[in-house]
Amino acid sequence: MGESGVYAGLRILELGAGAAGAVATRYFAEQGATVIRVESAVRPDFLRLSHARAGEPVDLDAAPMFALLNPDKWSVSIDLRKPAGVDLVLRLADWADVVAQNFAPGAMDKLGLGPAQLLARKPALIVVTSALFGQTGPQRHYPGFGGQGSAIAGFNHLTGWPDREALGPYATITDSLSPRYVALLIAAALLERSRGGAGQHIDVSQIETGVYSLSEFVVRYSANGESVVRAGNREAGAAPHGVYPCAGEDAWIAIEVASDGEWQALVAAMGAPSWAREPRFATAAGRVAHQHDLDAHLAAWTRESGAYLLMAQLQEAGVPAGVVQHLNELLQDPQLAHRRHFMSLDHEVLGVLPYERSGFRLSASPGGFDDSGPLLGEDNDTVLGEILGLSAAEIEQLLVDDVIA
Amino acid sequence: MLSSIRILEICDEAGFLAGKILGDLGADVVKVEAPGGDLVGRRPPYLGGIRDPERSLAWLALNTSKRGVTLDPESSPGRAVLQRLLDQTDVLLDTFAPGTLDAWGLGWDAMQRQYPRLVRCAITPFGQTGPHAQLRARDLVVVAMGGNASMTGDPDRPPLRCTLPTSYYHAAPEAVLGVLMALQARETSGRGQLVDVSLHECQLGTLLGGPGLYGNSPRPPRRSGARSGRTREIWLARDGYVSFGLRGGPARVAGLRAMVAWMSESGAAPAWLCNYDWEQFSPATLDDVALARLEAALGSFFASKTMRELYAGALERRILLAPCNDAREILAHPQLRDRAFFTTLEYPEFGAAIEHPAFFAKAGGLRVGIRRRAPRIGEHNDEVYRALGLEREEIAKLAAEGVL
Repeated sequence: MGESGVYAGLRILELGAGAAGAVATRYFAEQGATVIRVESAVRPDFLRLSHARAGEPVDLDAAPMFALLNPDKWSVSIDLRKPAGVDLVLRLADWADVVAQNFAPGAMDKLGLGPAQLLARKPALIVVTSALFGQTGPQRHYPGFGGQGSAIAGFNHLTGWPDREALGPYATITDSLSPRYVALLIAAALLERSRGGAGQHIDVSQIETGVYSLSEFVVRYSANGESVVRAGNREAGAAPHGVYPCAGEDAWIAIEVASDGEWQALVAAMGAPSWAREPRFATAAGRVAHQHDLDAHLAAWTRESGAYLLMAQLQEAGVPAGVVQHLNELLQDPQLAHRRHFMSLDHEVLGVLPYERSGFRLSASPGGFDDSGPLLGEDNDTVLGEILGLSAAEIEQLLVDDVIA
Repeated sequence: MLSSIRILEICDEAGFLAGKILGDLGADVVKVEAPGGDLVGRRPPYLGGIRDPERSLAWLALNTSKRGVTLDPESSPGRAVLQRLLDQTDVLLDTFAPGTLDAWGLGWDAMQRQYPRLVRCAITPFGQTGPHAQLRARDLVVVAMGGNASMTGDPDRPPLRCTLPTSYYHAAPEAVLGVLMALQARETSGRGQLVDVSLHECQLGTLLGGPGLYGNSPRPPRRSGARSGRTREIWLARDGYVSFGLRGGPARVAGLRAMVAWMSESGAAPAWLCNYDWEQFSPATLDDVALARLEAALGSFFASKTMRELYAGALERRILLAPCNDAREILAHPQLRDRAFFTTLEYPEFGAAIEHPAFFAKAGGLRVGIRRRAPRIGEHNDEVYRALGLEREEIAKLAAEGVL
């Protein structure tokens, strides 16, 4: 976003791998910050390998997932196992306002790049670390990813059918939830700093952000000893409340009726069939008590219609209803198009892909992305030459020494 | 410093967590609810099972660090009080349906003229404008329309949401981020702005690039239940479930070897498994019989041990296995306990003490964490309205008229 955006001029240095770190800083790139990712080919971000197939050579620049999660960022490739590489990162930390990293706890400290070491060198820095369990505690070295975080934090237990396995929502929820907290913490620390506050280290545990979000789950157990268990798509006290089949392959509609008014609207929309007028369905308590029958009747009706037509018909009648959209359908969603959620950006290797924006719009600071995700080391010359002021000869020497790798 | 920021929250459940995050960050959050209490937000279950809005556990869980006042903004004296409150507010956080405030003469243009420094953060299902802006939706419909449900659940049953409203949980920190961005911009511009949050659009973030990865493929992946591709991810333990990905690739070899070594120590590894070649293991090409044999061996080991036993072994051996914890296990978790992650709040009027997650980060400068319990109905009416300059008699009169 270059010169415009709330964070034009802000400098973020990012070290890490995977989704959780990348998504957190993307919000700032969307609002004009310069985000430099330190990476290397010797130990590549595993997202750069996410497209790899067994037995085939890997192109580190051909991973769509990496590109999609890192638009507008700069990439500099530095081998952190070399002291000269560590020195370059320290000099980039001198340049930065914010250092965000999500390596295993202690890994950066061993290199002299830990939060305390960076803050001792530059007290005004905002250093954010994001790890599954945080930087302290007996299990901080547990080697998990988002899939494990989701299970430990309770989301798996809460997702699924009561008679089957605990599943967890698609795509490892702690990887998508925790970066939003990391981002708001960076924003809060920046706001404080602009009002005279100092730098600081912020220690985020991805699992803790998940459990904090599930405060209701914890409180219900602590207060009443109630262990909330996955309940399919049901909601206490509401019926019908579920996902029903529509005409076509794997086509579904979600319907959530939470009041007698919404039920009557649904009955009217169905043309008041005799089953729906049975007294046992007239009250919420009755509908909940007979929800198996209710669901069967309703499914027989929804099955006759296309999902999008049915959604329009039910919404028109005042019933909360929505199509279960597949990933490809999201690209055609008119509301997302209205909000310009997807930005088509060209990538040298991958071509044009739909890059996604945040879930909010600022009326006076529209923001957005100019560039696709970076190739590995794409910005080496700019970062080393223009930002760190190294001469062409010095850069050449770093290349020869495999520090730039 | 965030303590000097005043937030006025007029939200249904979709916005509770956003207000809580701001309060737990130290902002002064005044929560407005209808006289008599927000009966939607103060929903069951209730503390001790006693039906009383002040005992609503959803309310107590998600409204910490806020002060509470009652106000009927639909009445004209109530509207006048609202306007006085807005005079002293930095951020209005609300979940009004699009157009509601316009009908009160407080559409964004008018609001900005009257309160140029005010930030308004509006959380709605689909955003303020656009073809779906007027659609009705709560969590289930948002999760359905947002794409996550299509990928969650078993292939032979309908798509699924999480049993608690995760779409609100995803939108909350994003709304707070938008608020802080708008406040940051105000530092230089001197002007507020509208933060238009769409629950639906926030849901797309849960897909981690899914539409871009699969949206144009002829057959996008579908929900696969307890499996990821061909192999099992979720396994039955003696007392619950554990997550363990039977996946191939160089990064997994050490963990798979450690798992077999552990089984072998316990006498649970058949001879063929002890010599298994994990370097060559590729779930995509393994034949059905061999895969079933592997899964049966692992499955019977998992089924013989409790979730805690399995997790303890995984920690010791650095194996990527995790228990699918319930709330009891989470509250007892040694790691969370060591970080003092839970705090006990007292509810003396009910003779109760409840443990809550205390914070979402540890920070050197920001003081992140619960400051006070959720308010009782109208608990801070006197305090807030007197600070606004209303006399005690005026407050009593407005209360008698049902405005407060």
